[in-house]
Amino acid sequence: MFTRLFKRRISRKGFMKLCGIGIGSLVLSNSLLKFAFGRDNVSAGRVVKKIKGLHDLVAVKGDDPYAITVKAVEAMGGMEKFVKKNSIVLIKPNIGWDRSPEQAGNTNPYVVGALVDMCFKAGAKRVNIFDNTCNESKRCYENSGIEKIAKEKGANIYFVDDWNVVKAKFNYKSPMEGWPIYRDALECDTFINVPVLKHHGLTGLTLSMKNLMGVCSGNRGMIHFDIGTKLAHLTDFIKPDLSVIDAYRVLKRNGPTGGNLEDVLDMKTVIISTDPVLCDSYAAKLMDKDPLSVSYINQAVKHNLGSPDIDKADILAINA
Amino acid sequence: MKKLIFARRSSQVFFLSLFIYILWSIAHADLFFKIDPLVSILTSLSGRIIIPGIVFAVVMLIMTFIFGRFFCGWICPMGSIIDGLGIKAKNRTLDLTQLKYYIFGFIVILALAGIQIAWVFDPLVITARFISLNFIPSFTIVLDKLFIFLIKLFNFYVPLYDFYRSLKFSILGVKIYYFSHSAVTLGFFLIICAFLFITKRFWCRVLCPLGAMYAMVAKFSILRRFVDKCSHCMKCKTSCRMSAINEDMSYKKEECILCMDCVYDCPAAGTKFTWLAKKAKTDAKGAVSRKDFLFLIASSFLFLGFKFKEGEAGKGLIRPPGVSGEKEFLNKCIRCGNCMRACPTNGLQPVIFESGFSGIWTPHLVPEIGYCEYNCNLCGKVCPTGAIPKLSLADKKEKKLGLACINKDICIPWSQNKECIVCEEHCPVPKKAIKAYEENIFGKNIKKPYVDSSLCVGCGICQNKCPTRPIRAVRVSP
Repeated sequence: MFTRLFKRRISRKGFMKLCGIGIGSLVLSNSLLKFAFGRDNVSAGRVVKKIKGLHDLVAVKGDDPYAITVKAVEAMGGMEKFVKKNSIVLIKPNIGWDRSPEQAGNTNPYVVGALVDMCFKAGAKRVNIFDNTCNESKRCYENSGIEKIAKEKGANIYFVDDWNVVKAKFNYKSPMEGWPIYRDALECDTFINVPVLKHHGLTGLTLSMKNLMGVCSGNRGMIHFDIGTKLAHLTDFIKPDLSVIDAYRVLKRNGPTGGNLEDVLDMKTVIISTDPVLCDSYAAKLMDKDPLSVSYINQAVKHNLGSPDIDKADILAINA
Repeated sequence: MKKLIFARRSSQVFFLSLFIYILWSIAHADLFFKIDPLVSILTSLSGRIIIPGIVFAVVMLIMTFIFGRFFCGWICPMGSIIDGLGIKAKNRTLDLTQLKYYIFGFIVILALAGIQIAWVFDPLVITARFISLNFIPSFTIVLDKLFIFLIKLFNFYVPLYDFYRSLKFSILGVKIYYFSHSAVTLGFFLIICAFLFITKRFWCRVLCPLGAMYAMVAKFSILRRFVDKCSHCMKCKTSCRMSAINEDMSYKKEECILCMDCVYDCPAAGTKFTWLAKKAKTDAKGAVSRKDFLFLIASSFLFLGFKFKEGEAGKGLIRPPGVSGEKEFLNKCIRCGNCMRACPTNGLQPVIFESGFSGIWTPHLVPEIGYCEYNCNLCGKVCPTGAIPKLSLADKKEKKLGLACINKDICIPWSQNKECIVCEEHCPVPKKAIKAYEENIFGKNIKKPYVDSSLCVGCGICQNKCPTRPIRAVRVSP
């Protein structure tokens, strides 16, 4: 049939007509498909829900990372407060490095596992987990132990796709303007940020705001110039609903990669708060650092993203 | 019933699939080369060592002594590809079949002189390189783009996207591999396939040195073809893909690959393969004459261009971890591409002419494409000849590939007084081989990176992650 089609003689006019029809239908169908299925490539950030917990901040100390995470969330009022029925939850742990859980380079897998369990118990439809890793992704996912525990608990863990991004838009002047952000970070009902507390060469400490770099695509090294302002704007853009800082094992020096077990300190604490700035300030205090000396906390305070004032806040510290 | 032909074809399909599967899954990628006597024996010969796994090669030679060249007809992935592509190819009788012995002899002579060039013509190496460097990357990129196209165009974000993401954990891989100069590898393979325009199995009849090695053993094999009744219809002679059958229905035993075609083509059903047959009168005589052999030795000296000149070539190349001397490395490396396929960051790339002609297709690290993962020793694990030594993780972490060097004219903290130190952040050495020195400039503390050369392992992650473009401020040199 095809050979007959190609053997048929065609006049110049007929050929032009055929080309015209072909191109026309292509353009038309393309625009139709775009109209029907196309998605926005620009976003102004997540919508704030301003959910408040029972306390401003809860810190729980104990031996079992799973149990203290559950306890902290329960003290905050339970996961039902943050996760609605049939909603999509994004848990953003730190899976940046090809390190084992003992080396404290990544978030403790049991903290992530506890959060996944609680989200499903609260009725979440889907729990997504991803991170834009610094080392090779597959090795990071495997060796951090997070892939295994996430798959066991039924969460969706996947690698990031650089083509599935939206451009950030700000209604003020920002150095992060137009930065590609992974779409799933914005298209979720609840954003739970689960960083690990550790040392960092440039900023001093890796905390919840620094962990948000994992939803950025592009040449991420560029975020490092003027990192304070950029991370503050990024936090304003994402507006995480809940920040859970894993301070079970803490890297004291040679962060953020670590690798030496002598640098790891057992703090056995989980800090949880709805306010990323307060959460970071508390963790900085835990590491004997002035919160305002950390550049992004300083900038976030200037942008009114939260309060660094630990003395005024309603803090519940539990020793389990 | 064509039972035996069916068995041979299934065996070919099975082993070709197994070959691709092994390369795709990376684990045990050195398996096929272990059973390749050309690679293991000649590498041992040229390197003056005994490489582990040479036992398998000897077992293969013993099996060949029993069965004949069954490897060529039943197992060889290159043979299977050539057979598959050449179903419609013409079949001619060729008189060039002795050429492969010259090629084999040439390789042996150079191996005795300490130069290893078995990789140029070894069929397993050529196929493995083609599959690792061309087939798998192009297959995955087409599949990946197809999925992205469908997902984006029709908004299949929920069901199809999840499937696509799960594929990334298995066959698709996180990274779409890219290899520089892969067109050269493809061209080399296509030329071999293009010989099908001349005749079926041209490569196996005329060029393959592995075939020649097996042929020399198969000449004395126990299993042999036996013609019972013959009507001289010449069907078996014209259809034999190795042109192993003579005019008088005797056959060249060393050429027969046991494809079993003649058993079923015979209208009198008189051909069979048996163990206990008397020797036929007209089995072919020795293939290479004494005069030709001397000529071969003399002409081999013309090819000393393969010889490596010490201290010149390959100086600017970052070799995989654990590789000590360039000369030793070139002698042991068979250019199969296993290490490049296994490298999780895609940083190992084929060399073309940077290390002279003798260094073609050897691996080197290109930090701007991918760095050497600190916790990984895969390249040594999959190397079939030990050119990249098998190292334990702890040993591998000690091995220095090169040394990082910071260009202060480009480096952002040094030249622009802005904060950066991405290199320090990524440095995988537990004590940090890149350290930062703090300087107070206009009331602002700027951390400026410098390299501690005693700690640096030269993995290249600093160069890979350095944000300056187009020239990176950190460079690793060997």
